[in-house]
Amino acid sequence: MISYLLKDFARSNTLLAGISLLLVTGLISIYIGHLFLEKQAAVTAEAAEVQRESIAHTLDFVADDDLGLFLYYVRFGLVNETPQLAGLAIGDRDVHPATQHVTIRNLEEQRHGSILRNPLFQLLGNLDFSFVLIFLFPLVIIAFCFNVLSEEREGGTWSLVLSQTGRPQRVLYQKVLLRFAAVQLTLAVLLIIAKFWLRIPVDAYFLTFAAVAVLYVTFWFSLSWLVVRQGRSCNQNALSLLLAWILLLIVVPSALQATVNNLYPTPEAYSAMLESRDGYHNKWDEPIGPTLEKFRKLYPQFAAYEHPEGAPFGWLWYYAMQHLGDAEGATATAELREKLRQRNTFSEVAGYLFPSVHTQLTLSALSRSDLANYLAFQDRLAAFHEDKRLTFYPEIFAEHAVSSLDWNGYAPEYFQDDRRVDWLTVLLPPLLAIVVLLLIARLTGRPYALAEPVGSAKSLP
Amino acid sequence: MRPKIASYFARHTFTALLKRPGTKLLIGLLNLLVFAALLSGYGNVREQRTIIKDYQTEVRERWESNPDKHPHRMAHYGYVVFRDPYPLSFFDRGLENYLGNAIFLEAHRQNTANYSTASLSTGLLRFGELSGAMVLQALLPLLLFFWGFASVAGEREDGKLKLIFAQGARWSELLLGRAAGLFCAAATVWLPAFLLTGVLLAFFLSSAELGATLLRYGLLLLTYGLYLFVLSLFTVWVSAMSKTAKTALLRLIGCWLLFVLVIPKVAQVVGEVLYPTLSKLSFDRAVEADLLEQGDSHNPDDPYFVGLRDSMLAVYGVTSTKELPFNYGGFIMREGEKLSTATFRRHEARLMTRFGQQQGIVRWTSLFDPYVAIKYVSMALAGTDYYAYQNFREQAEDYRYSLAQTMNELQMELIGNDIASSADKRAALSRQYWIDFADFHQRPVALSSSLRTEWLPLLILVAWSVVLIVPALFLRRPVSIL
Repeated sequence: MISYLLKDFARSNTLLAGISLLLVTGLISIYIGHLFLEKQAAVTAEAAEVQRESIAHTLDFVADDDLGLFLYYVRFGLVNETPQLAGLAIGDRDVHPATQHVTIRNLEEQRHGSILRNPLFQLLGNLDFSFVLIFLFPLVIIAFCFNVLSEEREGGTWSLVLSQTGRPQRVLYQKVLLRFAAVQLTLAVLLIIAKFWLRIPVDAYFLTFAAVAVLYVTFWFSLSWLVVRQGRSCNQNALSLLLAWILLLIVVPSALQATVNNLYPTPEAYSAMLESRDGYHNKWDEPIGPTLEKFRKLYPQFAAYEHPEGAPFGWLWYYAMQHLGDAEGATATAELREKLRQRNTFSEVAGYLFPSVHTQLTLSALSRSDLANYLAFQDRLAAFHEDKRLTFYPEIFAEHAVSSLDWNGYAPEYFQDDRRVDWLTVLLPPLLAIVVLLLIARLTGRPYALAEPVGSAKSLP
Repeated sequence: MRPKIASYFARHTFTALLKRPGTKLLIGLLNLLVFAALLSGYGNVREQRTIIKDYQTEVRERWESNPDKHPHRMAHYGYVVFRDPYPLSFFDRGLENYLGNAIFLEAHRQNTANYSTASLSTGLLRFGELSGAMVLQALLPLLLFFWGFASVAGEREDGKLKLIFAQGARWSELLLGRAAGLFCAAATVWLPAFLLTGVLLAFFLSSAELGATLLRYGLLLLTYGLYLFVLSLFTVWVSAMSKTAKTALLRLIGCWLLFVLVIPKVAQVVGEVLYPTLSKLSFDRAVEADLLEQGDSHNPDDPYFVGLRDSMLAVYGVTSTKELPFNYGGFIMREGEKLSTATFRRHEARLMTRFGQQQGIVRWTSLFDPYVAIKYVSMALAGTDYYAYQNFREQAEDYRYSLAQTMNELQMELIGNDIASSADKRAALSRQYWIDFADFHQRPVALSSSLRTEWLPLLILVAWSVVLIVPALFLRRPVSIL
C-alpha cells in the first residue's frame, strides 16, 4: 500500500509544483542572505579603514600639543558583528547600522545614526529564508493536505479503500506522513545548502534555528490534520486553512503590532534628545565652576585637574560640558530603553500564543538580528564610549602631547552578541500548540469510515 | 451590449452572493477589521501629532529662552524639527513606520532623520501593520477571488452556460454584468471603510487642512473603487478562461500570492541589485573627502580660504582682516557653510536619484501587478510616500541652512573684528534675535505634485480596466461554453 501511495504522490503535479516552489524560493532567499552577508562584511572592512583614516587625517592637521582638539575629531569604531546565521533571518539588521563610529564627545547625539536604505524596500521586507519558511511553507503544506481525504471521498475512491482494509486510518496516516516527510526533507536540504553556502557554524544557535523551523512545519501539518479530520469537503477545508493562514500571518501579527504601538508610545526618545542637547549647550552660558563641580562628582578620580584661572576655554571644561549632556539625558534614555524592553516582552508573550509570531521572533533572536540585539549593542556602545573617555580624559587634562600616545594600535572593536539560548521558551510554545492541535483532532475527528464528506447530502444517514 | 441584460446579471450575481451562507458573516468580519484598523490608526496618528506638537513647542520655548550670547553658539545649539504626519496617514500607513521622525539641525553638518518607528520596534513590525488601506488592498481582493472564482467556470461545469447563451445573452453582458455584481459586493466593504475614514477626518482636521485633504480623500475613494473594479473584472476573466471552478480558484489564489507577496519582494531584490546604494559609512566618507578637498575654513593656511581672504582685503583696500568693516570670522563661516552645504546636497541628490531608480523598478511592476499600482497611488494620496518625506527633509534642510546663515550674518554685522572668543561679553547679542528667528512650519506637499510623482501607476490602473473591458465587448466565442 505504502509504495503505491508513494508512487501516487510522487507522480502528482502538486508535489512537483509545491516542492519546486519551496526549493526555488528557498535558494533565492539563501542567495539574498549571501548578498546581505557580503554587504555586512564590506561595511565591517570599511569600518577598519574609516578608523585608520580618521586618525591619519586628524594627525595631519591638529597640532601635536592639542590632544583635546585631536580627540574632538577622532572617531572610534564599534562593529556589531553579524553572525552568518543572520543570512537566514535578516530581521532588523536592515534598519540598524552594523557599525557605529563615535568621538569621545556627547554620545546621545551620535548613537542614533540611521542606515541608508530605501524605506520602500524596508517596508516591502526582505525575501530571506525566514520569510520563505514562515509564509510560503504553510501554503505548500495546505496545498498538500487540504484534500488528502476529501478528494478520495468526493472522487468515490475512499469507499474502495474502505472495502479493502479494516483500518482506513492507516492509509490516511501514511498519506499525510509522506507529505510531512517530503516537506521536512525539503527544509533539511535547504538548511544544509545554507549551512555550506553561507558557512554557518553548527552551534546551539543553528541547531535551535533548525529545530524551530521543523516545529513550525510540524505545527502547520498538525493544523491541517485537525481540519482534515473534521471530514468536510475539499472546498471547505481549503477555505478554513487559508483563513487560518491569513489570520496567523497577516491579521493577528499586524493587529498586535498596532497594539504594541498604542500601548507603549515612545515620546521618551525625543526627551532624551532635547535633555542631552540642552544639558550640554546650556553649560556654555553658565559659570565654569559649578559645571566642573558636577563633573567631579561623577568622576572623583579627575578632581586633581583644574581649569586654568580666568581662561575663557579649557578642554577639561569642554569635555565636562559634553559629558553632562549625556548625564542629564540619562533618565529619559533609561525610560526609553525600559519602554523598548516592554515592547519586546509584550511581543514575546504574544508569540507564545501564535506560532507564526513566535517563529518570526525566535528566528531573528537566534540570528541575533532583533531588538534585543540592538539594545545590547547600544549598551555595549555606551560602555565602549565610556572606556574611551576614561582612557583619554587624564591624558587630555594633563595636556600630554598627541605623539605621546601610540595611535597605531587603534582598530575598531567588535561586539559579539553571545546570549544564552533558552530552550524552554523557544521550543515549548510551538510543541504545546502541536500537542493541543493533535489532541483536539483526536477528540473532534469524524469517523474514518464515512464514504462521503461531512455536510454533503449523501453522508447523512 | 445591452445594459439592461448586463445589469440583470449584475443584480443576480450580487443577490445570489448575499444569499450564500457565510457571505454576510465575512462581510461583517471584514468591516469589523477595517473599522478596528482605522480606529487604531486614527488613535495612533492623533497621539503622534499631540506628542510632536508638544515637543515642537518645547523646542521653540527652549530656543527662545536662550540668554544673550554669541550667535555662533546658537548656530551650534541648533534646532530640532519633527515630522508631522499627514491627516490621511491613519488610513494608509505607507512608509510611515520606516521614516525618521526628528532631525537635529545644526551648523556645519546635516544630520539624518532619526527615531523611526521601525528603529524602536520588535520583529512584529515585519508582518506589516494593520491599516484600512492594507485590508482594502490585500484582504478584500482575496475575498473577491473567493466570491467570484466560480462566477463563469462554475456555470460551465453545471451546464448552465449553454442555457444562458441559448436564451440570447452575449459574452459581454455576462462578463461585465458578473464583474459589476462582484464589484457591488466589494462595495459593502469599500464604502463603509471610506465612510468611517470621512467621519474620522472630520474630527481630525483643522479648517486649514480641510480643502486639500478632502480632495485627497475623494481621489483615494475613486482610486480604490477603480482598483476593486479592476480586480472584479480580473476575477471574472480568470473564471471564464478556466475549465473548472477549482482551476479558477487555484489560479486566483496563485495570482494573489504573486501580486501581494512575490512580485513586490522580487522587484525589490532586482532594484537593489541593479541600483546598489552606498553604505552610510561610504556616503559619509565621500562627503568628507570632498569637503577636505574644497578647503577647511578652520585652517588658517588653507589655500582656498587664504585666497578668499586676500581678495577681500584687496576689495576693501586694507591690510588685515581686523580692519574689514564686518566680522571676518562670521564671513568665513558663511562662505564655508555655503560650500559644505552645496557639497552635501550634491551627494544627497545623487543618493535620492538612486532611491528613485530603485523605486522606479518596483513602480513598473504595476504593469502586471495592480496591488503595486494601488500601493503607490494610495501612499502618495495619503502623504505617506517617499516624495512627501523627502519634501519634509528638504524643508528641514532649508531651515537649517537659513538658521546657520542668519547666525553667521548676525555675527558679521554686529560683532566687532577684535573679538576673538565667543566667551567675550561684548560678543553677546540680545536674545531678541533668537525670538525674531521664525519657528519651523512644515508645509504639506501640494496634491498636484503628489500626483505628478505617481501618474504612472494611476495610468496603469486605468489601462488595466480598459484592457479588461474592451475585449469583453468584442468577444464572440473564444472561450468554450461547454
